[in-house]
Amino acid sequence: MTGELPVLLGLLLVAAAGTGAVLVRDPVRQSFVLSLLGLSLATLFLLLQAPDVALSQLAVGSALTPLMVLLSVRKVRRKARSERREERE
Amino acid sequence: MNGWTAAGTALLLCGFAPAACGVATGRARRRVPAQNVATTFLSLVFLLLSQGFARPAYVDTALMLSVLGPAGTLLFVRLLADQLADHPPGQRWLRVLTAVNYVAVAAVVLPLCVATGPGRAMVKLLVIGVLLALGCRVATRAVQAAAAMGHGRGAPAEGMSDDR
Repeated sequence: MTGELPVLLGLLLVAAAGTGAVLVRDPVRQSFVLSLLGLSLATLFLLLQAPDVALSQLAVGSALTPLMVLLSVRKVRRKARSERREERE
Repeated sequence: MNGWTAAGTALLLCGFAPAACGVATGRARRRVPAQNVATTFLSLVFLLLSQGFARPAYVDTALMLSVLGPAGTLLFVRLLADQLADHPPGQRWLRVLTAVNYVAVAAVVLPLCVATGPGRAMVKLLVIGVLLALGCRVATRAVQAAAAMGHGRGAPAEGMSDDR
């Protein structure tokens, strides 16, 4: 049983991070939780003896996903702001 | 489960999990430094698990995370600069987090070096330790710079500080 404890902990982390990512509604805050989910998944993959999958998950989860989300939010807000300015003028 | 795996599990539970709670809650001023601490702790967990499973190849994941973790933090700092400038994190708190990072890196990497013995693997471990410490330093400096940019600034010119 003690041998399974790390895997169990990894599964719990993934479940908590996944639930958190669904429950958080604000995209900026969600990007933080998504990066956490990526890190938790990488941990789980490593614990399940799949370091190559963990490597790719780390690259995608810790940097690329938050970058995509944050850049999209930034672009959408900038567009909305310029439209508001045009309406005022 | 040997001692290294137990230490890795304990660090996952007592180090990464609280840092993850910090990342998931609160304002950007708490989330961004906590994100850096979480990646550092996770990298150390990977190192401990690699030793515990007796699989030196697992060290590569820790090496990758030691590079990508600070990169992710810098990304958040760059894109959330306005929020950090509006609500800057406490200097004392940042210093405490940096000290905790340094102590954790030293407390994990040095025993691992002793267990590994002199050789190429030990150099790799030391490189990872140095990268982790440097990454923490760079990330803290970036957060401090973003917070300092807020002083004397008028309305936010760009970024995501509106409607917040």
